[in-house]
Amino acid sequence: MTTPHMSTPLLSVTNLSTSFFTSRGEVKAVRGVSFELRAGEILGIVGESGSGKSITCMSLMGLLRSSGRVIDGSALFEGRDLLTLDEDELSALRGNDISMIFQDPMTSLNPTLTVGEQVIETILRHRKVSRSEARARAIELFELVRIPSAAKRLRSYPHEFSGGMRQRVMIAIALACDPKLLIADEPTTALDVTIQRQILALLKELQGRLGMAVILITHDLGVIAETADRVLVMYGGMVMEEGPVRELFARPSHPYTQGLLASIPDLRDDTHHRLTPIPGSPPDMLRPPKGCPFAPRCAHAMAQCNAALPPLYDAGPAHRARCWLHHPEAPRVAGITAELVPA
Amino acid sequence: MTAYVVQRLLLMLVTLFAIITLTFFLMHAVPGGPFTSEKMLQPEIQAALNAKYHLDDPLWLQYLTYLRGVLSLDLGPSFKYAGMSVNEIIAEGLPVTMKTGALALICVVALGVPLGIVAALNRNRWPDTLVMVIATIGVAVPSYVIATVALYIFALRLGWVPTFGLDDWRGYFLPVFALSGFWISFIARLARSSLLETLQQDYMMTAKAKGLKRGTVLFKHGLRNSLIPVVTVLGPVVANLLTGSFVIEQIFALPGIGRHFVLSITNRDYTAIMGITIFYAAVLMVMIFIVDMLYLVLDPRIKYRADPK
Repeated sequence: MTTPHMSTPLLSVTNLSTSFFTSRGEVKAVRGVSFELRAGEILGIVGESGSGKSITCMSLMGLLRSSGRVIDGSALFEGRDLLTLDEDELSALRGNDISMIFQDPMTSLNPTLTVGEQVIETILRHRKVSRSEARARAIELFELVRIPSAAKRLRSYPHEFSGGMRQRVMIAIALACDPKLLIADEPTTALDVTIQRQILALLKELQGRLGMAVILITHDLGVIAETADRVLVMYGGMVMEEGPVRELFARPSHPYTQGLLASIPDLRDDTHHRLTPIPGSPPDMLRPPKGCPFAPRCAHAMAQCNAALPPLYDAGPAHRARCWLHHPEAPRVAGITAELVPA
Repeated sequence: MTAYVVQRLLLMLVTLFAIITLTFFLMHAVPGGPFTSEKMLQPEIQAALNAKYHLDDPLWLQYLTYLRGVLSLDLGPSFKYAGMSVNEIIAEGLPVTMKTGALALICVVALGVPLGIVAALNRNRWPDTLVMVIATIGVAVPSYVIATVALYIFALRLGWVPTFGLDDWRGYFLPVFALSGFWISFIARLARSSLLETLQQDYMMTAKAKGLKRGTVLFKHGLRNSLIPVVTVLGPVVANLLTGSFVIEQIFALPGIGRHFVLSITNRDYTAIMGITIFYAAVLMVMIFIVDMLYLVLDPRIKYRADPK
C-alpha cells in the first residue's frame, strides 16, 4: 500500500492542448486542460462524446492516433513530464506505472491469443521474471478480479468469455504490474447494468486495496457519484467545472453541469416530471467558438459569454467553475450563484 | 474433428465425380472430335480410329468405361500423342511446372506479404505509394506482356538470362517472375489493406497500452490476425501456380503441363481434357482443404464439426 503524498501530486497536468490535423483543418480536441491527481485518489472525468475526455488521457499515454498531436502543456508524473518522453520511455511506463482499460471488452482483447498469454506477456514485458512466475502471477490476478477457476481459464480465448468476464480480464491485465495510476475509459459503458455495478464495485474495491490512483472517464454521472472522489466536467475540450464529488453534486456551479444533472432520471422522484434535455449540440471543434463553448446552448448566456472565454472561478471549497456568472459583477442566477454571494 | 475431416474428404470425392461427369458430357457436346481436324482422313481410317478408341460406342458406355479407368487411376491414352497416356503427359510435365510454380509461390509469399506490410506501416508515405503503384501495374498488366517485355530487356538486350528453356538455372528467373508478378501484387495489396484494418482494431490499442514493444505489437498482435484473409486466397493461388500457365510456358518454351490445358481442348484430346481437368480440380480442392485446416491454427474462434446429416 502506498501512502498518499498529500504534498506533491502523483500527476499534475498543466494547460494540455491536443489537436488533430485532418484534411479539413485543425480539430482542437483538448484546449488547455489542467488538473492534479493525488496518489490513491479517484478522479472522475465526465462529459459527452467529443468533449475531449478520452483524448486528454490518450495524450498522457502517448496513444494518440497518427493525426493527433499534443501542441502544448505538461504532464508531470512522479516528476517526469509524460509529454516529453520518447516512445521507449513511454512504453516502459505503459502497463507498468500507468495502465489503461477500455470501453469495449468485446473488442479490446486479441481474439487469437489466450487470455492468459495476454496477461503473461504484459508481466514479462515489465518484470524480470520467468514465464512460470508470470503465469503464477496471472493466476493470482485472475483470482483478484474473481474469475472462477483461474488457472484453467488462462488457457481460454476471449470469445469463450462473457463481456463482464472479459472486462475482468482487461482489469487483470491493467493491474498486472501494480500500476500507480489506472485510467479507465468508459469501463462499464458497453456492459449491461447489473454487470456494470459488479465491475464498478470491483474497481473501487481493488483501488482501495491496492492504493492506486484512478482516472475514471465516463459520460454517466451516476458512475461518478458512486465511485469518484473528485470530478472534472469537460465540454468542448475544456474543464468547465471541477470539485469534490459531494460538493459538486450538491452545488453544481456551471449551467452545463446543472443541465447534465437535470437530464438524469431519478427513481426516487415520484412527481413524474419530464427529464430536461440540454438543447442543441456540442461545438464544432474545427472552429471552436471564441467565447464559452457552452454559450450557444446555455439558458443564462449573456453577451459577454460569446465575447470571451471565462476563466475558472472559485465556486466553493476546492470547487471551481468556468462561467461568467461567477464574475463579481455578473447578475445573480438562482441555483448557480445565489448561495455563493449573499445578495 | 476427425469426423469432419472424413466428411470433407468424402465431399471432395463427390465434387470430383460431379466435375468428371459435367466435363465429360460438356466436352462431348462440343462439335468435332479428336480426329476431325486431321486433313482429309479417309472414312475407313477415321472409322478404324474411332473403333480403336471406342468413340463409336454410345456415350453412356464411353462414360462408364472412362469412370472405370479413373477409379483405377488410369486416365487413358492420349488421342493426340500416339503411344502416350495422359498419366505420362502429366508425369512428364508436372516436375517442370511444379518447380517453376513452387519458386513463384515462394516469391509470392516472400515478397507479397512483406511489401504489403511495408506499405501499410508507411501508409500514405512514399514507400506505400511506390509499392501500390508497382502492385497496381502488376495486377493490371497481363503476365504475357510482363513476360515479353522482360524477355526483350533481360534476355535479348542485356543477355543476362537465356531466352528459353530451363537448362541454365538463370532460365528460371523470367518465367518465375512472370508467373508470380500478378500474385505478388495481388497479395501485397491484400496484405496491406488487411493489416491496415487490423491496426485499427481495439486490441491493437490494448497491446500498445500494455507497453508492449512496437515489434511485439505489430508481429504478435497485428500480423497473425491480418494474415487470415491472405491465407484464404493463398489456397487457390497455390493451385493456380502449381498447375502452370499456358501463356508463360508457351513464351519461355517450358515443357510443363500448363500448355496442355489449352492444347488438349483445341485438339479435342478427350482423355487429356478430362485428365488435366481432374488433376487441376483435385489440386484445387486439396489446397482449399489445407487452407480450411490452417484457419484452425490461425483463428481459435473457428471450430469444425461434422454435419450430422
